[in-house]
Amino acid sequence: MLMTILRRLGQTLFVLTGISVLVFGVFFATPGADPTARIAGRNASPQTMAQVRHEYGFDRPLPVQYATMMKKLFVTRDLTSYVDRGEKVVPEVFKAAPVTLSLVTGAAIIWVVVSITMGTLAAALRGSWVDRGLMMLGLIGISMPVFWVGQVANLLSQSRYHDTIVFRWVPALGYVPFTESPWGWFKALVLAWITLAILFIGLYSRVLRADLIAVSGEDFMRTARAKGLSPTRVLLRHGLRTSLVTFVSLFGMDFAQLVGGGALLTEVVFGLQGVGRLTYQALTNLDLPLIMATVMYSAVFVVIANALVDMVYIVLDPRVRDGRA
Amino acid sequence: MRRRAAIFFAAMVPVCAAQAAPGGTLRLTAHAIGSTLDPHIAYLQLQLQVSATVYDGLMTYPKAAGPVTGGAIPDLADVRPVPQDGGLTYVFHLRDGVRFSNGKAVDVEDVAASFRRMFKVHGPTAGSYFGVLVGADACLKDAEHCALAGGVVADPAQHTVTFHLTRPDPDFLNQLGFAQAAIVPADTPAHDMGNEAPFGTGPYRYVRYSPNGGMTLERNPYFREWSHEAQPAAYPDRIEYRFGLDEEAEVSAVENGQYDWMGDGVPLDRLGEVGRRYTDRVTISDFPNIYYLALNVNEAPFNDVRVRQALNYAVNRHAMVIHEGGEALAQPACQMLPIGLAGFEPSCAYTVGAAPDHPAHAWKAPDLDRARALVRASGTAGQTVVIVAPAGATYLAIATELRSTLESLGYVASVRGINQAVQFTYIQNSANHVQAGLTGWIADYPAPAAFVQTLFSCASFHPRSDNSINMSGFCDPAIDALMDRAGTVSMTDMPAGLALWAQADRAIMEKAPAVPLTQIRRIDFVGPRVHNVVVSPVYQLLLSQLQVR
Amino acid sequence: MRSSSSLPPGPWAVAIRALARDRASLVSVGVLALMVLASLMAPLYARYVSRTDPFLSNVAGQVQIDGRAVDIMQPNDNPLHLGLSPIGPTGRGAYLLGADSQGRDVAARLLYGGRNSLLIASAAALLCVVMAGVVGIVAGFFGGVVDAVLSRIMDIMWAVPVYLFAISLSIVMVSQGLTIGPFTITSDNLLIPIVIIAIVYVPYAARPIRGRVMALRNSEFVLAARGLGVPSARILLRDILPNVTGTIVVLAPLLTALALLTESALSFLSIGVQAPAASWGTIIQDGEGLIYTRPLVAVAPGLAIVIVVLALNVLGDGLRDALDVRETSRRGH
Repeated sequence: MLMTILRRLGQTLFVLTGISVLVFGVFFATPGADPTARIAGRNASPQTMAQVRHEYGFDRPLPVQYATMMKKLFVTRDLTSYVDRGEKVVPEVFKAAPVTLSLVTGAAIIWVVVSITMGTLAAALRGSWVDRGLMMLGLIGISMPVFWVGQVANLLSQSRYHDTIVFRWVPALGYVPFTESPWGWFKALVLAWITLAILFIGLYSRVLRADLIAVSGEDFMRTARAKGLSPTRVLLRHGLRTSLVTFVSLFGMDFAQLVGGGALLTEVVFGLQGVGRLTYQALTNLDLPLIMATVMYSAVFVVIANALVDMVYIVLDPRVRDGRA
Repeated sequence: MRRRAAIFFAAMVPVCAAQAAPGGTLRLTAHAIGSTLDPHIAYLQLQLQVSATVYDGLMTYPKAAGPVTGGAIPDLADVRPVPQDGGLTYVFHLRDGVRFSNGKAVDVEDVAASFRRMFKVHGPTAGSYFGVLVGADACLKDAEHCALAGGVVADPAQHTVTFHLTRPDPDFLNQLGFAQAAIVPADTPAHDMGNEAPFGTGPYRYVRYSPNGGMTLERNPYFREWSHEAQPAAYPDRIEYRFGLDEEAEVSAVENGQYDWMGDGVPLDRLGEVGRRYTDRVTISDFPNIYYLALNVNEAPFNDVRVRQALNYAVNRHAMVIHEGGEALAQPACQMLPIGLAGFEPSCAYTVGAAPDHPAHAWKAPDLDRARALVRASGTAGQTVVIVAPAGATYLAIATELRSTLESLGYVASVRGINQAVQFTYIQNSANHVQAGLTGWIADYPAPAAFVQTLFSCASFHPRSDNSINMSGFCDPAIDALMDRAGTVSMTDMPAGLALWAQADRAIMEKAPAVPLTQIRRIDFVGPRVHNVVVSPVYQLLLSQLQVR
Repeated sequence: MRSSSSLPPGPWAVAIRALARDRASLVSVGVLALMVLASLMAPLYARYVSRTDPFLSNVAGQVQIDGRAVDIMQPNDNPLHLGLSPIGPTGRGAYLLGADSQGRDVAARLLYGGRNSLLIASAAALLCVVMAGVVGIVAGFFGGVVDAVLSRIMDIMWAVPVYLFAISLSIVMVSQGLTIGPFTITSDNLLIPIVIIAIVYVPYAARPIRGRVMALRNSEFVLAARGLGVPSARILLRDILPNVTGTIVVLAPLLTALALLTESALSFLSIGVQAPAASWGTIIQDGEGLIYTRPLVAVAPGLAIVIVVLALNVLGDGLRDALDVRETSRRGH
C-alpha cells in the first residue's frame, strides 16, 4: 500500500517536472518571446538592453535559467513577472484563486443538484417522453459553446432586457468579493454559475441515467425489488448510491480541472479575474514567470485530484489498478 | 427638439461647475492591467497618466487643455534655464519649499541622485535621452557604480544643479519634461520598486496597488501648489482606480454612474448610444499621435521607393477613418508629423492630383491609377507581402483593409496577427524580416524630433535588435543632416527651426518609408457625478482636475 | 468473435440496420449533410446571391437596395457624429444577415466559416483517432515499458486542462508558424488548429482504446492464438484491430463535436483560424464587438455550432447503441 502511494507520488513529481520543462522549452523556442526589449522599455538604448539581459540572467545557459526560475517559484517564492517588473507572480495566483473557487463551487452545486434530479427522473421514467425530453435537453447543453452561452446571457441581461424587471438586478460584469458583500457576490456570479453548469448538467445527468439503468439490472437490485420495496425507493436507496461512485470520480476530475483554470472561457466572458483568465493573460503577454506559475498551479490541482481518485479506486478495488492510467 | 434640449443642457453644466469645492472620491476603471510604479521605469500610458499627479521633474508640460506650442516649462526648477557654452551646460535653480510625500524637502542632492538612479535601474530612456550627459557612458557600462561624475553637479549652497553635456542636444529640456525624469528622494533603493511607489512631490501619493486589481491614491499632505500650470492642486481627496473590466462593461458602468471615468476609449458599437444619450458627458480632444504602416526599406518589394509611394497613393484613408469610428474620432494622416504639433505644416503628397513635389493641402481620395503605374514600373507585381499587425480587433480590421489594397495593386498579400505585447518589438527586429508592420506612435514628449527623428534617423536603427524604433530601417544621410540642423537652429531660432522640421517631414514622405494612415482623437466618457474635464495632449485627462459632485 | 463475424448477418450489417431504424440518428445525418452541402455552396452564394467578396473589407462601399445606393457603414444619428454601424439584415440577397464591422456580408461569411469549421473539426477528429488508435493499441498490446512511457506522456497532457493546453499550443504556433525541416507552415494555415486540436484530445481517445485492447489481449482467443505461436503482428491485425474499430467508430462523431467546440473557442480567442479567413468562432469574435447593435452577427454562428454539435452527439449516441459500445469518452470544458 505504502509502496503504491510512494510510487504514485514519484509519478506526480515526474509529471510536474515534465510540464515545467515543456513550458520553459517551448517559451524559449518561440521567436519574439525574448523579454529583454519589453523589460528594458520603449526606445531603450542597446547598452541598457545588454544590462537588462545580464541582470535577468538571459545570457546564462538555459538549464541554469530553468533551475533559477524553479527555485524562485517554489523555494524563495519571489519570482517576478517579465511584463510587469517588480510584480511577484505567486501572490498574484493566490489572489485569483478565490475568484475561480467561487465560480466553480457555485456552478458545481448547481450542476450536481440539477443533474442528479434530471438523471434520476429520467431513469425512473425510462422510455417515457419525460426521459426523452430531459436527455435531449442534456444533449443540447453539451452542444453549446460555453463562451457563446455567456455572451448571449450578457446580451440579454446587460443590454437587451437590462431595463426589464427580469434582469434589472444584474450588476456590471466583474467580481465582487464575498467578504465585501455576500449579496453582491451572489448577484455578480449567478449567471456565470448557470452558464458554466449547463455543460456539466448535460454530461452528468446522461452518465447518471445510463449508470442507473445499468445498475438496475444487477442482482442486488432485483433482490431489493423482489423483497417488495417500491421501485422508486429501490432506485433512490440502492441504485443511486451505487451509481454515485462513477459520478463522484468524474466530479473529482472535472472540479480539479476547473479550479486549475479550465473555466477560463467563462471567466473571460464574464470578466472574472480568476486563475484561467490570469493564465490566458499571461499566455497572450508571453509572460513566462506568470505562465509557469499558473500552469504549475493548475497541474498540481489536476495531478493531485487524479492521484486521489486513483487511490480511492485502489482502496476500493485493487483490480481497477491497471484499468486507469 | 430633443437634441436641442441636450445641447442646452450641456451648455448649462459649466455654470454649476464653478461652485464645486475640492473633496470626494474619484472612481475610475480600465481594462488594462498596471505595470511597475517605479517612475524611472514605467512607460505605459495608464501609468504615465496617473504618475503625472504623483511625480514631478525639473521640467514638465503644461497641465492644461490645448496644444503644446512652447515646449517644456519649469516644474521643480523655478525658471527654464538658458543653455550655456553653446548648449553644453544647463544650470537649474530649484524652487524652495517643495516637499516629498514623506515630508522631506526636495534638495539638489535628490535631483543628482535621481539621475544616477535612472541609470542604476536601467531606465528605458537613460541611454536614449540622457546618454549625452558627461559620465553617462561609464554608467551605461557599469550601472551599479554610476556616479555621473562631472555630468550632474549639485551645489547645495546655491540650490542649483548643473548638467554638463558631451554635445549639444536640442531636445534636452523637452526630454527632462518626460515622466521618466521624475525626481525622487536620494535614499530611494536603486532597484525596480515594482508595486512599492517611491515618494513623489505631486498632489497625490499611492496608498495601495495591485497590478491586476487596481490602485488607490490619497492626497499628499505636504503638497502646496507652486505653479498652477506645472502641477495644479487637486480636487478629489481620493482616487480609486480598478482594473480588469472589459470596455463594454466599462461603458455600462460609467453610464450607470458606478464609475466616474473609463480609461479606455468607447468601443465602436457603443459610440452611437453614448453620443445620443450622454452627449454632455463626452469630451473629444486632439493629441499628437500617428498610426502608420512601417515599410521595411531593406526587404522586397518595399526596397523600391516606387512601391512605397504606390502604396501611399493607393491607401483609402477614408476607410481607415471609418475603422477608427468615423470623422469625429479620427482624421486621415498623410505625413508623419501629427496635426497640432509645433512644426506641422499641412502637406499631402499622396492623394489625387498631388505628388511629392507639389503636395496637396489635405488628403482627398486614393489615386489607384498612379499607384498601379508605379507598381508596373517597379516590376514587382505578383510578389508576396505579409503585413504584421497587433492582434486587436481594430488593428486587424485595418490590416485587412491594407491587404485588400495590396491585392488590388497586384501583390499576394496576407495578414499576420501577433499578440500585441510581442508585435511591437517583433516588427522592430530586422532579423525577423518583417516587410510591413502596422503600429502607432504616441511620442514621449510633444516635439517634432520625437516623431520624425526618433522614428527615421540612422541612429535609431539597430539591426538585429528588438529595440530598434526605426522599424523601416530607413537611413538617409542627407535627411539625417537636415534633422540635425533643424534641431540646432531650433535652439536659437524657433520659427526657422520649425520650418526646417516641416521640410524634413516632407523629405521623409518623399522617400515614403511608412504609410501614415490616421491620427486619432481621444474620447473621454465620464459618469454623471463629475465635471471639469480638462484634457491635456500630453497627460490626457487630468485626473486631479475632475470635480466630484 | 472471429468466428461470429463469418456468420450472416455480420455485426456491421446489424449495426447499420439498427442505425437505419433510429429516427434521431437519421435526422442527424440529414442535418449534417445539409450543413456540409450549404457550406460547399459558399462560393456560389457569394458569387450569385450576395455578390460581394466576403474576404475584402468594404467599409467605404455601398449596396443597392430598391435601386437606392445605401452606405454599408451608416453614420450613427447623434449630435457628436460618433461612430458608424454596419448595415443590418436587409432580407435580400445582398447582406441578408447584415454586415460585420468590416462591411462584409455576414451570411456569405457564415457559409465560408462553416467550410473551415467543419473541415477543421472532421480533420482534427480523424487525425486524433488515428494517433490515439496507434498510441492506445501500442500501449495496450505491448504493455510493460512501452505502456509506462506512453501512459506517463498521456499523464502530462492529461494534467493540463484541455482548453488551456490547446490555447498554449495555439499561441505559440500562431505567433511563429511551424517549421519542420524544409516545410514551413504559416500561422494562417488551417493545419495548425487541426494538429493542435487533434493532439489535445489524444489522451481522451487513447484511454478507452487502450482499455479495450488490454481486455482483448487477455481474452481467451488471443491467448489461444499466442499459444499456437501466431506472430504478434498477425494477432494485432487479425484479432485486435477489427475488435477496436467499434470503439473508434463511436468515438469519431463525439470527437468531431468536441473538435468543433474547441475550434470555435480558439478562433473566438483569435488564436484559431486567422483573418481574413472565417470560421464560426471568428465570426462570433467579430460579433462580440457588435453585440449591442447587431447581435445577430454573434448569435447566428453560435446557433450553427449548436445545431451541428447536437447532430453529431445524437449520431454518436445512435452509433453507440447500434454498436453496443459503452460510454467511453470524457470531454473538456
